[in-house]
Amino acid sequence: MTTPVTTPASAPVNVSAAAPAPTTSPRTARKSARRRELGAAGALMTPFFILLVTVFLIPVATAVWLSFFSDDQPGLGFGPERTVFVGLRSYTAVLTDPTFLSGLGAVVLYCVIYIPLMVIGALALALLLDSGVVRLRSWAQLGLFLPHAVPGIIAAVIWLYLYTPGLSPVIDLLGKADITIDFLGVHTVVPSIVNIALWSNLGYNMVVFYAALQAVPREVIEASVVDGAGPVRTALQIKTPLVRSSVVMVAMFTLIFALQLFTEPMLLSQSTPMISSRFSPSMYIYDAAFTRNNYGLAAAASVVLLVCTIALSYGVTRWTNRSDAAEEDAR
Amino acid sequence: MPGRHSRRSVLATMTALPLAGALSACSGGTSGADSTSRTTTTGSTAGRNATRITFWSALRGSQEVVDAFNRTHDTVQVDFQQIPSGPQGGYAKLSNASRAGNGPDIATIEYPQLPGFAIDGVARDLTDLVSDSLRSKLLPQALDLTTFDKRVFSLPLDVEPMVMHYRADLFEQYGIEVPGTWDEFEEASRTVRRKAPGRRLSAFATDGAFQFAAFAWQAGAQWFDTRGDAWNVSLADEPSRRVAAYWQRMIDQDLVSMTPVDSRGYDALLSAGKILVRLSGAWDAGAQMKARPGQKGQWAVAPLPQWNAGDASVGTHGGSTFAVTKDSEHPEAALEFIEWQVSHPDALRARLSSGASSQYPAAPGLVAVGRKAFDRAYYNGQDIYTLFEQEADKIRDGWTWGPRMTATQKVMQDGFARVGGGQGSVLESVRAAQRGTMPDLRALGLSTTEHSS
Repeated sequence: MTTPVTTPASAPVNVSAAAPAPTTSPRTARKSARRRELGAAGALMTPFFILLVTVFLIPVATAVWLSFFSDDQPGLGFGPERTVFVGLRSYTAVLTDPTFLSGLGAVVLYCVIYIPLMVIGALALALLLDSGVVRLRSWAQLGLFLPHAVPGIIAAVIWLYLYTPGLSPVIDLLGKADITIDFLGVHTVVPSIVNIALWSNLGYNMVVFYAALQAVPREVIEASVVDGAGPVRTALQIKTPLVRSSVVMVAMFTLIFALQLFTEPMLLSQSTPMISSRFSPSMYIYDAAFTRNNYGLAAAASVVLLVCTIALSYGVTRWTNRSDAAEEDAR
Repeated sequence: MPGRHSRRSVLATMTALPLAGALSACSGGTSGADSTSRTTTTGSTAGRNATRITFWSALRGSQEVVDAFNRTHDTVQVDFQQIPSGPQGGYAKLSNASRAGNGPDIATIEYPQLPGFAIDGVARDLTDLVSDSLRSKLLPQALDLTTFDKRVFSLPLDVEPMVMHYRADLFEQYGIEVPGTWDEFEEASRTVRRKAPGRRLSAFATDGAFQFAAFAWQAGAQWFDTRGDAWNVSLADEPSRRVAAYWQRMIDQDLVSMTPVDSRGYDALLSAGKILVRLSGAWDAGAQMKARPGQKGQWAVAPLPQWNAGDASVGTHGGSTFAVTKDSEHPEAALEFIEWQVSHPDALRARLSSGASSQYPAAPGLVAVGRKAFDRAYYNGQDIYTLFEQEADKIRDGWTWGPRMTATQKVMQDGFARVGGGQGSVLESVRAAQRGTMPDLRALGLSTTEHSS
C-alpha cells in the first residue's frame, strides 16, 4: 500500500504517503494540495458531467437538430429523400395544430387546479403535524407518504379500477346513495387526473414542508406565543413565511412535473374516449413520434414544451425573487 | 470459423422451416437445432446457393405459405417472422427497423398505411421490377391502390369489398327484407328497434374510421387526391357530409349501437344476437366462422346497400399488400416470392389450410381456388365467393389513401368515441380529423391543399 512516493505530482496518493517526504518545500506542497483538490473535484464531478452530456445535452441537441432538418422529397413525397434545412416549418406545423394547442390547454387547466391544491394541501398537512395536534404523528406521516412509493403506472391502474363504472366499489356505493357520477366524463376527467396526482405526491411534498418546519427556530415560536398568537395565527403568520423558500421550491417542481403530464392520462385513455391520444403535450409528442412517424413534428413539439417549462420556471423564480425584494424594502 | 458456423446454422434453420411448419404452427426458428439430422428430406441441394430473404407478416397462415414456397423453390428461400398486427406495434416495429437500416426484405402493409410507408422511404419503388404478366394477373382497382405518382410501391394480396353480413334467421323472424338501399336499411333499423327494443340492426363503430371511409368511398367521396403534384385533402366533401348526416340521424334516433367493434363488448353483442348486421370486408365472413362457431347456419352475406336503387358502387374495408423494403439486398428474389404469394394457387391453398379464411384474392385467377377451398357449411351453402366477385367489380375507381392515415384515423375515432359519449357529431369528427392531419402533412414538407368544409 504505502509505496515510497517519488513525485508529489501524482495526485491521488494517500496523505500518509505524502507526509514523510521531507524534501518538498512548502510552496510545492501547497501546489500539490491544490492539484489534489482539483483532481478530487474532477473525479467527483466527472460522472455528473458525463451524465449531463449524455442524457440531457445530446438528446436536447438532437431534438433541436431534428426539428430544423428533415428528409424531404418535393411535391407528393415519393421521390428520393435528401436531408434539408427546413427552418421553422415543423414549429409552424406544431403551433398551428389544434390538437397540440388543445393539449397545452388541457395541461394549463390541470396545472391551475393541481398546483394550488397540492401546495396548500401539503402545507396544511405539514403545519397540522408540526403543531402537535395530530396524535400518532409518525404513523400519519407514513400513511401519507406511502402512496408516493407506488409507481405512477400502478397508481393509475388502481384509480382506473376505482373510476370505471361497473367495476368500482366507490361508484356502486355512491349509486346506492342515489348519486350518479361519471369520473371519466367530459368535465370530470381532468379533476380525476388531478386526484391521482394529489394522492401520489401529497405525502412527499408534505415531508418536504415538515422538514422545513423542523428548522424553524423554537424561540421564534415561543416569542409569538408569548405575544399572544394562537396556534392558527402562529401557523399562518409565523411558520408559513419562514418556510417560504420550500413553498417556492415545491411549487416549481410540481409545475415542472405537471407540464410533463403523461402516465395517468395515457393509461386512462384506454378506458375513456374523453382522453384522446393527444390529450397532453407529452402524449402528443409520443403520438407524433411513434404512431405518426413524424419525428420533425415530435422534436419541434418537445422543444416547444422544453422552452415553455424553462420560461415558466424562470418566471416563477423571478417573481418570487422580486416579491422577496419588495418585502425587504417594505421592512 | 464464423463462416462455417453461419453456413451450418443457415442450413439448419432453412431445412427446419418446412418441418416445423408441418409439425406445429409455431415459428420454425427455435426448433432448428433438433432438426439438422433430418436434412435429407427437403432442400439439401437448395441451401447453399439459395438467396435468403426475410418476410414479416401478422397475417394468419403466413407460415404455411412460406413453407409451401420453400418446399417448391430452390433458388430463393424465405425466413418468416410473425410480427404483431400493425396497430398493435407491427407498424412501429417496421418503421423503427427501417430507421435502423435492418428492416426485412418483405413487409406486410395494409392499403391505408402504404402511402405513409412509401413517403417515408420504407417501401421501395417496384415499378421496374413488376412484369406485365404480373400486372395482368391483378385486379386493376387493387393495383391502383398501391400505385402513387405512377409508381408501384407494393403488390396487393387481397382486396376486400365491403359487404353486409346479416343474421338470416333473425331477419326472417322479424320479417325484414334484405335492404338494397340505405333508405331501406334505415327502415329496417327502425323495424328491429320496434320489434325488439333490446336489439339493433347494426352498430356504428366508434373505432371505425376505416369503416366510415368505406361508406364515404362508396358514396363518391374523395378524401385525398394527388392532382397537380400536391396532396389535396377534402375529408368533409359533399358525399362524406351526406354519409355523416345519414349516420348522425341513425345515432340521434337511437337506431344503432354505439360501440367500438374491436372490443369484447361488441363481441358479446354479436354472440347474444343483439346486433343483426356487420358491415365489413369480405374477410370478415371467415373471421366470423372462427369467432362464433356456435352461430353456424344463422348468417348470410349480401351486397352492401346502395344510395340509389340501381347504383353499383362499393368501397373496400381491409386488405393487405406486400412491399419490398429499401433495406432489401435481393429485391428481385423478394418480388419472386411476392408474385408467387399473390398469384399462385398453391399459396392461396396453403393460406386457407390454416383454418377459416374468406379473403378475396386480388388476383381474379385465384377466386376459383378460394371458392373451391372455402367450406360453405357455415353459410348454409351460400356461394359467398361469387358474391364477393360481383362486389369486387363494383369497387369505385380513383380512391387514394392519405399520407398519414394512422393520424387521420385516430383523430376521427377520438371524435366518434365522443359522439358515443354524447359529445359532438359525426361530421365534426370528420372535420377534426382533417384539421388534425394537415399539420402532419405540412411538417413532412408535402405540398398540400385543403378543400371542402
